[in-house]
Amino acid sequence: MVKIDIRNLCAEYTDKKGTFLALKDVSFDVKNGEFVSVIGSSGCGKSTLLGVLQGLKFPSAGEAAIDGKPITGPGADRSVVFQNYSLFPWMSARSNISFAVKQVRKGLTRAQRNEIAQRYLSKVGLSDFGQKYPSQLSGGMQQRVAIARALAMDTDILLMDEPFGAIDAKNRSGMQELLLSLWEGDDTREKKTVVFVTHDIDEAIFLSDRIVMLSNSPGSVYKIMEIPFGRPRNHPQIIKTDAYHKLRDELFSLFYHNVGENIGGNEVVI
Amino acid sequence: MTRALKSLFTVSNGLFVVFLLIQLLPNRAGGRIADKPLYTVALVSVLEVFLLTSGFFVKKKELRNVISDIIGFVYIVLIFWVLATVKLNVVSNAKSAVFPPPGAVLAQFVSDIKITVTNVRDSLDLVFRGYLLAMITAIPLGLILGWNVRVGAAATYITKFLSSISPLVYTPYAIVLLPSFRAASIFVIFVASFWPTLAGTMSGVLNVEKNIIDSAKTLSVGRVTMLSRVVLPASLPQVFIGCNQGLSISFILLVSAEMIGARSGIGYYVNNYVNFGNYTSALAGVFVIGIVVSVITFFFNLLQRFLLRWKKR
Repeated sequence: MVKIDIRNLCAEYTDKKGTFLALKDVSFDVKNGEFVSVIGSSGCGKSTLLGVLQGLKFPSAGEAAIDGKPITGPGADRSVVFQNYSLFPWMSARSNISFAVKQVRKGLTRAQRNEIAQRYLSKVGLSDFGQKYPSQLSGGMQQRVAIARALAMDTDILLMDEPFGAIDAKNRSGMQELLLSLWEGDDTREKKTVVFVTHDIDEAIFLSDRIVMLSNSPGSVYKIMEIPFGRPRNHPQIIKTDAYHKLRDELFSLFYHNVGENIGGNEVVI
Repeated sequence: MTRALKSLFTVSNGLFVVFLLIQLLPNRAGGRIADKPLYTVALVSVLEVFLLTSGFFVKKKELRNVISDIIGFVYIVLIFWVLATVKLNVVSNAKSAVFPPPGAVLAQFVSDIKITVTNVRDSLDLVFRGYLLAMITAIPLGLILGWNVRVGAAATYITKFLSSISPLVYTPYAIVLLPSFRAASIFVIFVASFWPTLAGTMSGVLNVEKNIIDSAKTLSVGRVTMLSRVVLPASLPQVFIGCNQGLSISFILLVSAEMIGARSGIGYYVNNYVNFGNYTSALAGVFVIGIVVSVITFFFNLLQRFLLRWKKR
């Protein structure tokens, strides 16, 4: 069943230099419980696309719909993890989570919210850090709290905007495995629908069911690829297979071919 | 042992010795107001004992340094003051009424202490009414104006314009429009602290990290929650800058506010003695105001540090 439906989406982006088209005729869908990564070089509009899904940006043409209803703003059916600044610096890790839970799940008592917050903190391995402020945590720990917050909100959809982009390579793979294990879960509950924006091809292969590759300026869908590996995924095993390397080579050549085209067309320098 | 001995050779302790040596100089004849050197020596001795024992009850080295620097500053002021008045008598006798020696001012302070306490209480009552009224109106208004981007831009200039007008200009209007002189005094303090608080809050709101706002929006928080739980704490550092300025200006204008018809208060006290040419009492009053402001600032900073404890230091 289709959860998120994006049809002929166009979006503009405004900065000091003026307004330009960031997305042009983007169409794809995301099925219920599917993990879809959107990749592309920086400035290809992938964050704008996620902004539309978050309800923070509005399309100039076309539409994005959830369960058939067009997105008109942020909603309690979606939770978001940004690259940074997801958390409020004046709230402790636990308050950050329980505050977010309070906004989307009405009718819980304070004790229930705190209990949920504590449970999700321990899921990301931070049960002893509930009282700490974000400034007292490392960047990786902050992102783990942000993920705990998004999961604790228990929304159908999880939107992630380069959540591991500011984390060093060693910790990043640990974070990817943590995210996957939390998302794959224990099979007793329905999986969340995830849209994950990244510029890291390996990350996208490891995590996703499908990859949507965007081309540059304005961003439009260049290629959509299925990732054939089963779940739960085992990273060390996958990278030993021929299928992985074939897929990776293909994605890399598509990626750089796409970039090369743009440079050849004298349009974009990254 | 040698280390403990070495630690005694500080600038502040040196100034203490210099002060005592100056006391041994002969007094120069003249000066209308007799000095009472015992009071100054007593004050300096108490400060020195406090300084020497501070190591026992103040654990943080930074704080001990602050105490030492402040006491050293007091010594310097007293040294120059004693030299300029009783020891060298640098102003002519005709003008010396305006320059009482420090011992005389301290003696006045001690003998007036009871009246001073009552006056300080009345003044604090006045300042806090005006100041709190300004806080509870300026902060919410600043949040709303700053949050409303279109109005906010205009409001910045309007606030600049209005805050440049001395609150004393409003005094006649306040006296005419308000039911009592006391209300008019409170109004002057209110206006004085209102503008800096409003300006600080608005600039705080306008400078909140956009990502923080986006993060809050994705949680679909309501308007009131957005302002009270997100925008207010995010702009709190700058709100505090405005509140601090407001507090300073409140006390600067206290004397003027109490000129409006108050019959008590430390500002009234100072003003009254200036009018009668009693500068010994007036200066004693000025020091009381200084001490009160310092104490309030100290507690205000504690509150600020507590509310901003989440910030990276």
